Amino acid sequence: MSAQPGSELISLKQVGAESLWKGMWRLLEGRRLAYVGSMLGLGIAALGRSSVYLLLGFFIDDVLSSPDFAAQVPLVALGFIGLAVVQGFFTYLSGTLAGRTGEVVAERLRNYLYDHIQRLSFNFHDRTKTGELIQKVTSDVDAVRRFIAQEATQFGRIVTLFLANFAALFLLDGELAWLSVICVPITILMSIWFFKRISDAYEDFQNQDGVLSAVLQENLSGVRVVKAFARQEYEQNKFEKENYEKYERGRKLLIWHSTFWPLSDIITGAQMLFGYYIGAQMTISGQLSTGDYLSYITLLVWLIWPIRNLGRVIVEMSRGLVSFERVSRIIREEREPLEDGQASLPERLKGELVFENVSFEYEPNMPVLKDISFHVQPGQTVALLGSTGSGKTSLVSLLPRFYDYTSGRILLDGVELKDYPRRYLREQIGIVLQEPFLFSRTIRENLRYSVGREVDNADIEAAAADAAVHDVVLGFPKGYETIVGEKGVTLSGGQKQRITLARTLLKKPSLLILDDSTSAVDTETEASIRAALKRQLGGRTTFIIAHRIQSVMSADLILVFDKGRLVQQGTHAQLLEQDGIYREVFNIQTMIEHEVEREVASANQGQ
Amino acid sequence: MEDFTEFQEEEFSTTVTGRTIRRILGLLKAHWPWAAGFLLMIGLVSVLDSYFTYLNKEIIDRGVAVGDMTEVARIMLPYGLLMLVQAAAVFGFIYLTGVLGEKVRYDLRRKMFDHLQGLSLSYYNRTPVGWIISRVNSDSDRVAELVTWGLLDTTWGITNILTALVFMALINWKLTVIVGLIIPVLVVVASWFQKKIITEYREVRKINSRITGAYNENITGVRVTKSLGREEANLREFGGLTSEMHRAGFRAAWLSALFLPIVQLISSFGLGAVIWFGGVEVQLGSMTIGGISAFVTYITLMLFPIQEMARVYAELQQAIASAERIFSLLDAKATVVDRPGARDPGSLVGDIRFENVTFAYDDAPDEAVLSDFDLHVEQGQTIALVGPTGGGKSTIVNLVCRFYEPTSGRVLIAGEDYTQYTLHGIQSRVGVVLQTPHLFSGNVRENIRYGRLGASDVEVEEAAKLAGAHDFIVDLDKGYNAEVGEGGNLLSLGQKQLISLARAVLADPEIFVMDEATSSVDTLTEALIQKGMETMMKGRTSFIIAHRLSTIKRADRILVIEKGRIAESGSHAELLRQGGHYYNLYTQQFREELTREQDPFLAGKVLPAEG
Repeated sequence: MSAQPGSELISLKQVGAESLWKGMWRLLEGRRLAYVGSMLGLGIAALGRSSVYLLLGFFIDDVLSSPDFAAQVPLVALGFIGLAVVQGFFTYLSGTLAGRTGEVVAERLRNYLYDHIQRLSFNFHDRTKTGELIQKVTSDVDAVRRFIAQEATQFGRIVTLFLANFAALFLLDGELAWLSVICVPITILMSIWFFKRISDAYEDFQNQDGVLSAVLQENLSGVRVVKAFARQEYEQNKFEKENYEKYERGRKLLIWHSTFWPLSDIITGAQMLFGYYIGAQMTISGQLSTGDYLSYITLLVWLIWPIRNLGRVIVEMSRGLVSFERVSRIIREEREPLEDGQASLPERLKGELVFENVSFEYEPNMPVLKDISFHVQPGQTVALLGSTGSGKTSLVSLLPRFYDYTSGRILLDGVELKDYPRRYLREQIGIVLQEPFLFSRTIRENLRYSVGREVDNADIEAAAADAAVHDVVLGFPKGYETIVGEKGVTLSGGQKQRITLARTLLKKPSLLILDDSTSAVDTETEASIRAALKRQLGGRTTFIIAHRIQSVMSADLILVFDKGRLVQQGTHAQLLEQDGIYREVFNIQTMIEHEVEREVASANQGQ
Repeated sequence: MEDFTEFQEEEFSTTVTGRTIRRILGLLKAHWPWAAGFLLMIGLVSVLDSYFTYLNKEIIDRGVAVGDMTEVARIMLPYGLLMLVQAAAVFGFIYLTGVLGEKVRYDLRRKMFDHLQGLSLSYYNRTPVGWIISRVNSDSDRVAELVTWGLLDTTWGITNILTALVFMALINWKLTVIVGLIIPVLVVVASWFQKKIITEYREVRKINSRITGAYNENITGVRVTKSLGREEANLREFGGLTSEMHRAGFRAAWLSALFLPIVQLISSFGLGAVIWFGGVEVQLGSMTIGGISAFVTYITLMLFPIQEMARVYAELQQAIASAERIFSLLDAKATVVDRPGARDPGSLVGDIRFENVTFAYDDAPDEAVLSDFDLHVEQGQTIALVGPTGGGKSTIVNLVCRFYEPTSGRVLIAGEDYTQYTLHGIQSRVGVVLQTPHLFSGNVRENIRYGRLGASDVEVEEAAKLAGAHDFIVDLDKGYNAEVGEGGNLLSLGQKQLISLARAVLADPEIFVMDEATSSVDTLTEALIQKGMETMMKGRTSFIIAHRLSTIKRADRILVIEKGRIAESGSHAELLRQGGHYYNLYTQQFREELTREQDPFLAGKVLPAEG
């Protein structure tokens, strides 16, 4: 797609498996040299800065008093500019290298996590909250990016500035250099101590922010209730309480800040004055030249001041590492192996299915399917009937291997289902899920969504017509270019169901599963869809989950489920003969029409 | 979450008017001593900073250069003391500015919230909740930031540069002029960069919200993706988005990386000039070594104020746009308000009449939802409103509650035009149960008590019993202390309705309004809700938007509302005999209800709450 590093998909599987630092190092693959270069750049830039002050000292001592002054001074002036160029160039270089690395790593993580998410098992998604996962893959990834692009380099900058300036000081005078850094350990310890507390206070403050937002959100969405009970004043008091608490916590946070900064100013200030004094004494006693003194006092500033920021940077870095750990935890989750399986794969499945004593549980010892056995001939239509939670959806979820059955055998065209690769099964089996889900794109793109091959508009429209949605779509001002989904126009449940059905039909699956996928469609339209399906899918094994008896009557095999067990199976005629749930349902539905007539008649009499 | 970011991006008119600026500064008015305090402190800090550089020069010239250690000590004493003074001032400005910022935020939030409580329902209908939340949260932050730290940074920058120029001029005025020439260049370059950088970051935020959207779809649609085998194609598309993000993010990082070196390079020309001309001046004896050193420091330290001021300037426009949005919220007028001289009715017992009522919503003034509507409801009657969605049923009950007022015509309660009464007087005597009942986070008891704040625990339970909610509540894990979750989402729809019924029972209203749930509630809960409704309707004038046959049958009068008028009106038997709209509606409804009741698969099953 693009030649940018990071856009290629690198497996980050190892990143989660190792220790934090090792994982981080692995994440930098391909950018390690650049990243080390960026750190070196920082070092060179820091040296450049220190040299500016050394040059100043040289200028004072050797040039000002030199007889050759007029000739030398332009050179020195140029020297200052030259050093600024060096310093500027390396600062820039290090900034772009680190910035690029941060972006590369972020892109790498984003792509990998996106792919990872869609390859994690159904089990993972069943137990994970959408909001939390999104939080991790967006904010935490950004925190990792900031760690690499900014916080770690800031840390590097502080360290290199310190080292370069300390080295320069050491060049001037070793004793003086040591005397100038007395405050450093004190400042570092103090900043770390303070910043731990500041971060805690900040978290308190942020939490209260969340509380306040929740109060506001609830008040706004419950505005009718507030008005209906005339509770404005009560609400105002409730908000006021939390609002004031936020103010108070903000104030506490500020007390920490406003004590820390002047305290560290006093410590560093005292160090500087001490340095000036010692430096002055050494100069007067002849140990240092005036130029050296001048270099010294400016170097001192650049030695001490960055140290003040160390505490803040360390706390920020630790936050970045926590985010990285959270991201790693997702990476450590096992993916669904899509390609595993050793069956020889025919181009199309015939669709013969044998269930032999199949049981299945999502969680240990909580079976949702118990001992299911039935036999489906190729091309048959199978209808599943049963209450919510009786196991119908779980049963059809086993076919594309969304989940693997716990015991028993399922034979598809005579081969154990677990021997087929998941990808192959999902290509061959079309499943229309209970909850219609459309993506935020045009209807045309939604329909074309799953088709690996090129399809022309005629195919798309034919599939839509079979699902009885073509006319509906043409009724929209933009027709097939109408954007649907979360950010598009709102479709009715029935319309969504029909589009998802058309989407699956376009895939031309060799085995079709309809999981209650016409429940929101009116009876008449449903009949026309059924007719179209018969036309299109003649000869294809089809599973239908439905509630209405009209939808299942014509099936070749009707399976009746109750509490995870298969309680009845047969054709409509066979099942009517038997005493059981099926006949009960049928009787009720025919009875209802009589009831309606009776009720109306009685109301007329009762006047 | 994403909605918020999108609303933030929306551009407001950004023509900076003097009025807006005055109004923004007006936010500081109540706290002016704080503002004056921090300005004073920061001024002191920056004057001292420049003075310290001057003292360093003095140490060199009067002490080090001439070998006079006592002079060094003499200068250092006030130096040290002034440092303590400066530290105190630093404490002062951080504390004052920060707390002032919190005060301004607090004020803004309170003002907005209080104002929001008074606004009419029509405002909420046209304003998304997300938009309002952004105003209260992020816009108030941005404005507070501007009037505190923004003002502080600007003041710091200006005093810093000015005092530095004064001290430099004291040392050598010719050199000061040269340095002074660089300042405008620095200012222009710095502002240009900051503007660019902010634009890039805005771009990054936009792409970021698209990425969040893509993740959202990726996660919520994962089952579809897997069943359709779309993984590769999805990733390819997402990869396009992340490379876009990569590019935009890098451009922002690149600009930031370029910014400092360029500004430093410009100032290094100043440095070169100082060395060159300063050196000459020293040779001529009109300048000291300490003077040169001071100039070098002044030039290096001048970068930061300029950088900060450029940043504030770049953010200024956005902060003003934020302020304008806040003011637009605060300026929104409530449409339903107490008339001058409105009084508390004391009681709403009496007949309710609609006389020639016409009503149209604000956003569609030409499309009357009700026109010339007349209705007379006797005290204590139960009215069932039935008919198609959008026919005007909700409008009628909204008018009864006075959430809206008639565009023309009158609504009379107990013989008087209800605009003579106070809103509070009416709404505290009307009990409302909504179709999708809203509960507040907290426990069950607190939610019921919302109906009457002073009620005792016994009274709360009494109300719950009357509403038929008691039995399910005691079955909950913690009974009355069970948390209901945000918006009540830990409970089913039926349970939420029972609790909101109990809440209405506790309020003991004189008029009862209910919008029945359309979605199926399990049969047991349904029976309880029916019982609760019966309690409420006893002796109270009641308006029910009815979806259940049992409710409809129980009403004293059924109104079939279609296209803003009463299509049919009468008792159940009368209407059935007419064989019109009601007849059709009824038989269809009856068929559906029977199907649902009789379904052996669904009977007695608790369906999950919707919405």
